[in-house]
Amino acid sequence: MSFTYPLGLLGLIGIPIVIIVYILKSKYTEQTVTSTYLWTLSERFLKRKNPISSLTGILSLLLQILAIAIISLAIARPVLIVENSAYEYCFILDGSASMNMSDGETSSFDDGISEIESMIDSSVDGSIYTFVYAGDEASVVFEKLNDKDRAIELLHEAKPSYSGMNVEDALDVAQRYFDENPSAKIYLVTDKSYKKQQNVDVINVAQSNADNCGISNLTCSLAGDTLTADAILHSYKRDVTVKVEMYVDGRETPSASSTYVLKRATDTPVSMSCSAKSYSSVRLAVTGEDALGLDNETVAYNLENNEVYSILIVSDTPFFLQAALDVVGDHTVTVCETGKYTGEEKAGLYIFDSFTPKELPSDGAVWFINSDTSLANTGFSVRGEAVPEMGVNITMNDSSATLLKTLTEDVSGEGIAVSKYMKYNTYRNFTTVFSYKENPLLMVGTNGYGNRQAVFGFDLHNSNLPLTADFIEIVENLIEYSFPSPIEKTKYFSGEEALINVMPSYESVKVTTPSGKVSYVSVQNSNGGIILDEVGTYTVNISVSGREEVYHIYSEVPLEERNLTIIEDEISVSGIAGNEKLKGEYDPLMLLFVALLVLFTADWMVYMYEKYQLR
Amino acid sequence: MGKMVIDEALLAEIETMQTILKNNVAGMFGGNRQTKNFGSSSEFADYRDYVPGDDINKIDWNVYARFDKLYQKLYLDERQMHTRIYIDASRSMQHGILEKADQALRVAAAFAYLSICEMDKVSIYAIHGNQAEEIISGMVGKDSYMNYINKLNEIEFYGDASITEAISTAKLGMGDGCSVIISDFMTDEKYEVAIDKLAEKKRDILCVQVLSREELNPQFRGKMHLYDSESPAKFFRKKIDKERVNAYKSALRFVVDRVKNYSEARGGNYILVPSDEKILNVFFGELSDKGVLK
Repeated sequence: MSFTYPLGLLGLIGIPIVIIVYILKSKYTEQTVTSTYLWTLSERFLKRKNPISSLTGILSLLLQILAIAIISLAIARPVLIVENSAYEYCFILDGSASMNMSDGETSSFDDGISEIESMIDSSVDGSIYTFVYAGDEASVVFEKLNDKDRAIELLHEAKPSYSGMNVEDALDVAQRYFDENPSAKIYLVTDKSYKKQQNVDVINVAQSNADNCGISNLTCSLAGDTLTADAILHSYKRDVTVKVEMYVDGRETPSASSTYVLKRATDTPVSMSCSAKSYSSVRLAVTGEDALGLDNETVAYNLENNEVYSILIVSDTPFFLQAALDVVGDHTVTVCETGKYTGEEKAGLYIFDSFTPKELPSDGAVWFINSDTSLANTGFSVRGEAVPEMGVNITMNDSSATLLKTLTEDVSGEGIAVSKYMKYNTYRNFTTVFSYKENPLLMVGTNGYGNRQAVFGFDLHNSNLPLTADFIEIVENLIEYSFPSPIEKTKYFSGEEALINVMPSYESVKVTTPSGKVSYVSVQNSNGGIILDEVGTYTVNISVSGREEVYHIYSEVPLEERNLTIIEDEISVSGIAGNEKLKGEYDPLMLLFVALLVLFTADWMVYMYEKYQLR
Repeated sequence: MGKMVIDEALLAEIETMQTILKNNVAGMFGGNRQTKNFGSSSEFADYRDYVPGDDINKIDWNVYARFDKLYQKLYLDERQMHTRIYIDASRSMQHGILEKADQALRVAAAFAYLSICEMDKVSIYAIHGNQAEEIISGMVGKDSYMNYINKLNEIEFYGDASITEAISTAKLGMGDGCSVIISDFMTDEKYEVAIDKLAEKKRDILCVQVLSREELNPQFRGKMHLYDSESPAKFFRKKIDKERVNAYKSALRFVVDRVKNYSEARGGNYILVPSDEKILNVFFGELSDKGVLK
């Protein structure tokens, strides 16, 4: 046994004090009576008493001593240590979107919290607790905590996410604890089912009666005056009939509605139309309530970019470029001979073909084609020209990087050859699209002014590229790259990162989440990312040149989080479980208080009995 | 003795008692004692034939005139009784707020007055140790009563008292009246011997046990160290609780029954007089109920 506050035992000094007081106190009241004859005679008539009853004379003293001892112990807070009775617990709580499901008053997440709280509460003092929150990524909320109250307090601060559960990440954390202590008890509290478990106890908190139906994959198309919305409906547990309503541009009354009969676990296509000449958003909503309301609607925002950009081609032979630009868009293209370029011309995109200006334009994107002179702020320098004996095929970068995918969209990259090329050194971060023997022949990046820049390391006339179908696609992709939309797309699944293309002209980028939280994306970096951790519409406000542009991104529940009928194969933490327990601590305080109450009551009864017994 | 127990108020009370007695009862203590023998009193009893030598003054000449035969008138023989009152004058009789001693004196004075009213002779004794000290001797007549009864105030209560020894050695008389013993009988001595002695002497016996309320129903509880008023060497040191009090009451019943049963077995009477009881209540309550006063 140990004591939390050993100084409390000083109270035991009270015991000898009580005994001294008891001894010093005149215990017998002296009185003279006419005769003691009758009192002495009464001995003959006294019923024989139980020997134990002879203790009644000092019963009050005994009770008082016991009371003092118990009070002292209570103040000292004794802790009984019992070997091998406590555990190390590691709780992994599924924080995925599906844990929001509810078939009544509480959600699966609430039930999970209650389960863990109950286990902590009923565990032996001395146990230690680790709590891992398994959301889109696992995070350790508290680690090896041995304070029950604090653990429960922190536990209740957890909230369910709207994304998936990274169970692998969580198990990695659990594995670390298990490796340290093979006797650790690991619990996964989730609404998902697993066929096999190893060293992990799965506590399933799925809502058994939860019935969910969701809508997804919304796409919109405008043909003439008809706006058509297509989506997929899915009922995950049983056959149901649902009504879907279509709302356009945030109107409160539906523009169209239809009823669909859904077969369990089968995708049902939805197609709804209404008349509209244009639209900014379309919302499809399933009426009625189910276990997970988050997936009962989906929104598509129109990101059609109809802006007309101005392009200046500084070239003496602009034919290929002009032709390609004419094909890819309705842009204003101006051609300037190299000798006439003054550097004062204004454009959204400057294309310098076999020409290097004295100064890099700072107000727009720039393409360099076969530049033979190094220029400040461009991020590259010219090493010289390479002339192979015969034409060489250039290689397209097959990396899966997002930017590269955008730049090579619909580009085959095969059969492109050059007869002469420039060697460049780069000192800024460029993404290489085409190369030959590690010499970048088409690379993109940002220049010293923060503007986007594309660099061709060869003259178009020394290549067969302009004669291939890939040339149009490459020009189109580079145009999109050079005039980026602030947001890449308007629909994501919760947990994904939405990219924002930050241009040098942006003054601020404010992001407002569906719940109203506001954050700002740094305008110092060209790419900003927002982790979409809520379900609903994110609003992006961009301040540029004194005006504000507003964009919307819709984040919806991941498809795998809508379905609880999936049974996963196995969940495991590797290793052999041990059986070594920790020292358990038992707090007998409540027991002491009860004993104290009994003693005080008994002492009072003894006192009252002696004072007011029947006369 | 500083306090005057026999005072004007008590005597007035006893006078009242006498009036009531005259109208209602003729008690054992009342009447000039008439024996079965014919004597020389003035009260006519019967006739008998005249025998030569008889007192010719007692011949009823009117009967002779009618029957022509001499008849002698017979008169009842009257004797003066001697009431002897023994008062336990030990220390134990004087302890307490309403002292048993005062009540004992009042009872003694009342009995004495009743006897005086019946022309009996009264002697009062105070028992100290083994001796019965004669306080009033052969008191007869109301004038004498008024002159001597105040001597009761002079009785001092101290030490212990042995009723047996004192009565055995005292003048007891023989078949000539009543002996009254006034005591608390809080003793383990064999006072039955004294009662037997009085019975042998053909005395009417009345035992009056005077007890205080505290003795009848003790109130103290808890751990008590009780000293005996007669002897500080005697003490009782115990915790007094419900069981102890019950045992005390049983002991009290035992003592009361001992006195009562023994005296009644010897043809005597017994009364218990609480120390705070009114004298009139004593005489017209228990004494009357028991037939001591007839």
